[in-house]
Amino acid sequence: MSSEARTLTLQSCRHCGAGAPAQVHFCPQCDRILTLARHGDYFSFFGLPRKLTIDLADLEQRFRALSRQFHPDYFYNASTPERLASLERSSYLNDAFRVLKQPLDRAEYLLKVEGLPSVGRHQDAKELPAGVLEEVFALNEELDDIRAAREAGATPDQLMARLDAARRPVEERAARQEAQLEALFSRWDRQVDEKSSPDVRRATLESLRDLIQERSYIANLIAAVNRERGES
Amino acid sequence: MSKVVGIDLGTTNSLVAYVGKDGPLVIRDGSGDGLLPSIVSLGANDVVYVGREAQRRLLTEPLRTVYSVKRFMGRGSDDVRDEARLFPFRLRGEAGGVVRVGLGDREFTPPEISAFILRELKRRAEEHFQEQGEFDFEVDRAVITVPAYFNDAQRTATRDAGRIAGLEVLRIINEPTAASLAYGLDQRKTGTIAVYDFGGGTFDISILRVEDGVFQVLATNGDTHLGGDDIDQLMVALVTREMGAGMGAADASPARLQAIRQAVIQAKWDLSERADTEIRVTEPGGGDAGAPIFRRSLSRDEFERIIRPVVERTLGPCRLAMADAGLEPAQIDEAVLVGGSTRIPLVRRSVQELFGRPPHTGLNPDEVVALGAAIQAHIMVSGSRDMLLLDVTPLSLGIETMGGAMSKIILRNSTIPASGTEMFTTFVDNQTAVDIHVLQGERELVSDNRSLARFKLRGIPPMPAGLPRIQVRFQIDANGILSVGARELRTAIEQTIEVKPSYGLTDEEVERMLLESFEHAEADVEARFLIEVRNEAETVLRATEKSLRNPDLAVAATTDLAPGELAAIESALADLRSVMESNNRAVIEQKTRVLNDVTRHLAEVMMNRGVRAALTGRNVNGI
Repeated sequence: MSSEARTLTLQSCRHCGAGAPAQVHFCPQCDRILTLARHGDYFSFFGLPRKLTIDLADLEQRFRALSRQFHPDYFYNASTPERLASLERSSYLNDAFRVLKQPLDRAEYLLKVEGLPSVGRHQDAKELPAGVLEEVFALNEELDDIRAAREAGATPDQLMARLDAARRPVEERAARQEAQLEALFSRWDRQVDEKSSPDVRRATLESLRDLIQERSYIANLIAAVNRERGES
Repeated sequence: MSKVVGIDLGTTNSLVAYVGKDGPLVIRDGSGDGLLPSIVSLGANDVVYVGREAQRRLLTEPLRTVYSVKRFMGRGSDDVRDEARLFPFRLRGEAGGVVRVGLGDREFTPPEISAFILRELKRRAEEHFQEQGEFDFEVDRAVITVPAYFNDAQRTATRDAGRIAGLEVLRIINEPTAASLAYGLDQRKTGTIAVYDFGGGTFDISILRVEDGVFQVLATNGDTHLGGDDIDQLMVALVTREMGAGMGAADASPARLQAIRQAVIQAKWDLSERADTEIRVTEPGGGDAGAPIFRRSLSRDEFERIIRPVVERTLGPCRLAMADAGLEPAQIDEAVLVGGSTRIPLVRRSVQELFGRPPHTGLNPDEVVALGAAIQAHIMVSGSRDMLLLDVTPLSLGIETMGGAMSKIILRNSTIPASGTEMFTTFVDNQTAVDIHVLQGERELVSDNRSLARFKLRGIPPMPAGLPRIQVRFQIDANGILSVGARELRTAIEQTIEVKPSYGLTDEEVERMLLESFEHAEADVEARFLIEVRNEAETVLRATEKSLRNPDLAVAATTDLAPGELAAIESALADLRSVMESNNRAVIEQKTRVLNDVTRHLAEVMMNRGVRAALTGRNVNGI
């Protein structure tokens, strides 16, 4: 489903039966808090377009304003359905804020709501592009060698030097990935603005998914090197 | 409209506060004391004493008097076995069950003991509102504070205590967050603050962002077993060691242990004001009562060397909380001190070093939490939207997976209310129930985390193995308390969930305790009368003794008093003194009346002499 279609989804007030757009929180007719509908997404909940670049100060300000609208503290005297609605809306708001404020969580969430398969956390190395794969194998071999050298009594200085040298190419790749990520974020946002065709946008999301997968692999490698440094 | 209050249910002291016309206010007892010692003592005939009266009984009835009960809230008897040695009262409870405190021949759960304290605070508040001329002075709703690092079982136990005391618990809020509300009201600033809350038994650190009246906790950390108590125990160990062989903590009588404890606490307080003091222990009871049994000087330097390890244990949680908030110490605009232990100069210096700036000490560290709780209670019932607290869950919530590992569903420092879902299925054909073990903690293995509850999902429609798709929804509410719901997605059948709290009370148990508390209400009223009668007797005793010490008495006795009148007074005085410790209210009342009667003439004589003396040498026109 496209994002335009989604904003047209209606929810209905359980109290007076009036219809309301998905992104509103209170019934336009009777002002009561609306029971959380099953559809809708984090972006529309915040009244934001489904874009990847988010102004954090603006997001925080929206978060505080929405918290003030439906926190359970303010529904203590309300009816049971309203109290429940306030609890559910507040939980959803808190979950949404946590996800949207982190760029990577935000990107993964976008992939999910746009219907892409989720990013594997323990993915197969063979899914990686050949260049990355070579680098991964080389580094893993080097780490094995360094461990062996440590067993054989190499000095911490020697080990550190080898670890730093081994880390350099992966760190350079990580930096390149950050730049690619930023470029993909902008490309997606532009395509949303320009209302590009679904196929074009789908291609962007697939590149994004591959990059996130690669990135998490590289991040694990850097963590492995840092663990070795800690032990040297 | 009945009244709402905020309650700080502390390890050492408890307080009650409310928001009046001029802002939040701590309610004090008749003598102006806002602190109610969190001590409960069981007298003869099941009379229950709470507060100062119970504190006096620490020395005379150590086996029937319980303190620091907060340490046992929501804990299992297995958890406290090691700690039990340090307390003179008995701790028991069946293996795997909730802790029970034995007082005399009765046993109480920690929530029941806490309920006695809450009832006393409720009574204090009701008396206050009555004196204010309020028509409806009943206090039936309260916000109660807990340490931020309390887990689900400890929070639930606190809420149960409120229910047993006949209070509707509007909200359980975290102590440092409550303190920040009171601080925020005071300062009206925007910024990032760290609340360092070092109390009698618990330590909490919370990092908050304050903006647009929203108090948003970014991260919290702490240790629910780190507080002034630990400092006291180090000092008690020092004294018993120095008192020599045969006087170790394990050998000392419970009454002596209490006497030592009180002496080291006094020395600790002294050293917050002075550089040197003396620890003086006197014999608590028996024929030698009051005789000195131990004396030693103690400098602040030596004290600080002894307690440094305890103070340093607070710094690790501070660093973790800052890391979780993604902040450096330099980004903290203000460090706010809460809790009595922050009066210790070493604690203040350590906080200053950590945050690189002198901490904010403008608030009364004993009262600020209760004031914050009162503000929160006010927000909830008044409809005022000036301020809003957004707190977090201190510990991750998860479930046991295959192989004894924990799979996290809601991460620590998530803003509450928060929710998470997990999918379950069946392993054998036509399986209709699934067991789920819910845990709280940060460790990988089930055995290293806190077991919260075991749930059984029932009513799964019979299907081939692996086909049912059961969505279990975990909801942490604004109190930080968990509830669970489930549905089978293929059939949309809601599942019934049976909850067996690992270390808590069932709803039926709480109900029963509430009923029992009504049965004991009569004994409690009796205890109150007894205390009042004793206080009255004490007043008459003191007044009489004062008259007898008056230098004018010798003259008055020869001119104004009948022969034998003084002897009758002295005998009535001795009579009353001899029954003061008795629990027989009628006898104390009767002896008080006798003393009052025989001294009436003396009082008149002394008053007349006083008036005459005052008038002597004054000119009539001056009167």
